[in-house]
Amino acid sequence: MSNSILVLGGGFSGLTAALEAAEVGYEVFIVEKQPYLGGRVAQLNKYFPKLCPPTCGLEINFQRVKKNPKVKYFTLAEVSKISGGPGNYEVTVKIKPRFVNNNCTACNKCVEVCPVERDCEFDFGLGKTKAIYKPHTMAMPMQYVIDSEVCTGTSCAKCVSACEYKAIDLEDKEKEVVLNVGSIVVATGWKPYDLANLTNLGAGQIKNAISNMQMERLAAPNGPTGGKIVRPSDGKEPQRIAFVQCAGSRDQNHLNYCSYICCMASFKQCTYIREQYPDAEIVIYYIDLRAPGRYEKFLNKVQADEKVKMVKGKVAKLEEDSEGNVIVTAEDIIAGVKKEETYDLVVLATGMQPSLDGVELPLDAEIKEGFVVGGEDKGIFAAGCAKMPLDVMTSAETATGAALKAIQTLVRR
Amino acid sequence: MARLKVDPDVQFIRDLQAAGGESLKKCYQCATCSVICPLSPEENPFPRKEMIWGQWGLKDKLVNDIDIWLCHNCGECSDLCPRGASPGDVLAALRNMAYRSLAKPAVIGKWLSSAKYLPILFAIPALIYLIIWGFTTGLSIPEGEIVFGKVFPGDYTIDPVFGLVAIFVLFTFASAIGNLFKSFKESGYTPKEDAPSFWKSLLDVIKEEIVTHSKFQKCSSNAERYKGHLFLFYGFVALFIVTSIVAVGHWGGRLIGHEMHTPLALWNPVKILANVGAILLIAGLVLITRMRLNADPSKSVSSYYDWYLLGVIWAVALTGILSEILRLANVAALAYTAYYLHLISVFMLIAYLPWTKLAHLVYRTVALAYARQIGRKGLGE
Repeated sequence: MSNSILVLGGGFSGLTAALEAAEVGYEVFIVEKQPYLGGRVAQLNKYFPKLCPPTCGLEINFQRVKKNPKVKYFTLAEVSKISGGPGNYEVTVKIKPRFVNNNCTACNKCVEVCPVERDCEFDFGLGKTKAIYKPHTMAMPMQYVIDSEVCTGTSCAKCVSACEYKAIDLEDKEKEVVLNVGSIVVATGWKPYDLANLTNLGAGQIKNAISNMQMERLAAPNGPTGGKIVRPSDGKEPQRIAFVQCAGSRDQNHLNYCSYICCMASFKQCTYIREQYPDAEIVIYYIDLRAPGRYEKFLNKVQADEKVKMVKGKVAKLEEDSEGNVIVTAEDIIAGVKKEETYDLVVLATGMQPSLDGVELPLDAEIKEGFVVGGEDKGIFAAGCAKMPLDVMTSAETATGAALKAIQTLVRR
Repeated sequence: MARLKVDPDVQFIRDLQAAGGESLKKCYQCATCSVICPLSPEENPFPRKEMIWGQWGLKDKLVNDIDIWLCHNCGECSDLCPRGASPGDVLAALRNMAYRSLAKPAVIGKWLSSAKYLPILFAIPALIYLIIWGFTTGLSIPEGEIVFGKVFPGDYTIDPVFGLVAIFVLFTFASAIGNLFKSFKESGYTPKEDAPSFWKSLLDVIKEEIVTHSKFQKCSSNAERYKGHLFLFYGFVALFIVTSIVAVGHWGGRLIGHEMHTPLALWNPVKILANVGAILLIAGLVLITRMRLNADPSKSVSSYYDWYLLGVIWAVALTGILSEILRLANVAALAYTAYYLHLISVFMLIAYLPWTKLAHLVYRTVALAYARQIGRKGLGE
C-alpha cells in the first residue's frame, strides 16, 4: 500500500492538485513532459479572471512547491509503464537528459557561444533560441536545457568551456525512475489545435494569420517582440485586425466541441490591441458569442468599444494578397451579405485539443475525443483541460476536487 | 424593436426531411456553406438562408427560391459543414419537392416521390406494350430474322405512343415553366430595364455553361461527378441526335419516297453515333453510381429521386445494349423480351420526366437564364 499520489502534468491544474494534497500531508510526484513547470499559463500574456500576468499565480505556486518537501517533481519526464491497481500502483517514469545540471545559474554565457539556432516552441515558432536555452524567463526550475535534436554535441562543446559552473554535461543520459503511488491525477492539459488541419483557413501557411496562442506570445513582455503586437511577416503595426472564432472548434471535421474560452480569449486580446493601437479597428467573426457565467460583463465591456465590431458568420476562407494582407471571406448573417474584407492581421481563435488526443498513455481510464472521462474506480482522476476545455480558474477548482478524490483513494484502503 | 412573427409550416418541414433533407436540423447557422460555395452570390447568398428557412418551416420563401436551381450540388458545402447538416442534400431535397409540385397532375408527382409507387409506374408502360404485343403477334415470338418492328411496329405503335407522350411532357413543362417564372417574380427578383432578353440569356447559358459544364468544375469536391455528368449529358445528346435523324429519315423520307429503315447497319455513321452514346451513358453511370455508393453518409446521403433516375437510366442503357447484342446473336425470345423491357424503361424515363430529377434539365436551364437576366451570380464570378 502506498500513501503517495502521482500527478501527470505540471501545469496550473497539476501544480494545484499536487499542492492541495501535499499541504495536507501526502507525498506527491509531479511528472512533467516539458523542461519547466507552469504549462500553458506560462505562455500567456494575461489570464482570466483578473487579467493577471502569469507570474502572479505561478510564482506563488512555485514558492509553495519549493518550500514543501512532500512535492517532488520531474521535468522532461514521461510515464512509460503503469502496473498494479488503486492503492498500489507501480509507475515507471522515463526522464530525458537535460544536459544541464542544477549548478546552472542562468548566467547565459552558454547561449552567447552556442552556434546553433532553433525555432522557439514556447513562442510557437515566432522567435528563435539557441540549441542551449532558458525555457523562458520565469522557468521553474531555473535551469537551462539543450535540445538534443539540433545540438551538434561533443564535436562543438563551446558551451561546456564557456560554463564557469560545470553545469553542462553533454554525455547526460536518459534515466528511469520507479514510483510507488496509490492514486493518480491526470492533469495533462491541452495543445492548440494545429492550424495545418484548417485547409480552407490557409493551413497555417499564411504568415499574418496567427493563432490566438501566438497572439499571447506577441503581446507578452517576455515574448519574441518584447510585447509589441506587430505582423510576423514584416513587423508592421496592424491597423485592421480580424478574429476568426471557432477555428477548428464546434466542427465535426476537427474538434467536435466548444473549446469554452476562445471567445473570451479573443475579447481579452482585443484589449491588448486597443491598448497598443487606440485607432486600430477590430472585427470579430463568430458563430455564437460564448461568455460563460460572470464573464458576460467582460463581453459587454468589449462590445461597448466602438472600434470593435462583431459579425455573426463564420470565416470559411482565408487568402493572402501580394502585400501580406489577409483576405477574409464571411457571410454577415444579420445583413445577409457575403463579403471579402482585407486585414493587416488575422487571429485564429484555435481551440483546445487535449494533449492525450491521439497519444497512447499506459493508463487504464476511458478516453473520449482525447478527454479523460473515466477511471475514477481505478483511483485515476482527471483535472483541468485533460477533463474538458476550461479556463484557468475552473481548472484549479477541478484540480482541488481531483486532489481530494485522490486522497480518498489512499485513505479508504 | 420590431417583432417578426414566424408561422412555421410543420408539415413542410417533415416533407422536406422526407425528401432528402433529413439532416436539416443539425445546422447551427455558421454560414461556412455560403462562403465556400463558388456559385453563391454576394447579396442573400445561399445555402445558409435556405437552412434556416427550412428549419423554421417558411414554405413561401422556399417554394419561390431561385437559388435552389443555381446550386449544382457539387457537395463542397456538405464536405466542409461542421455539423454534418449537409446543405447540399437539403437543396437537393428542395428541388425534389419542386419536381413534385411544379408540374401537374400532382398525382404523378406523388407516384415519383417514393419507392412504394414504383409498381404503378412500371405497370403503365408494361401494360401498354403488352397489349401491343398481344395485338401484333398474340404475345408470341415471331419467326425468322429478328426485327423488333415485327412485334412493335414503329409507325402505328412506337411512334404514336411516344408522340403522345412527348406532347404530354411538353405541355406539362410549359405550364410548369409558367409556375416557375411566377415564383421567381414572387420572390422579388425582376430583370432591370437594361437586362438582356430571356432568349439571349438562355442562349448564353447553353453556350457558356451547359455545353462546357463550366460551373461544375468550380469545386474540388466535384471532380468525379463532373466527369460522370459530362459523359451522361453527351451520351444523351448523341442518342437524341440519333433518334431525331431516324425519325426525320423515316417520316420525312417517306414523303420523298426514300424512307430510312431500321435496324441500321453497324457501319452506318448514325449507328456508330448511337453506340458511342450508349458507351458514354454506361461510363457516366458507372462514375456517378460509384460516387453515390462511396459517399460518406456523415456528409451526404442520396435520396430516392437520385436512385430512381440513376436506376432508370441504367435500365435504359442495359436493356438497349442487351437488345442489340441479343438481336445480333440471334436469340429471338430473349431479344424481344429485352426490347420490351427497353421500351418500358424508356417510357419510365420520358413520360414521367417533369416529375423526376431529370426535369432539372428544363428547370435549372430556365432558372440559370433568368439568373443571368437579373444579374444574379456568384461572388467573384
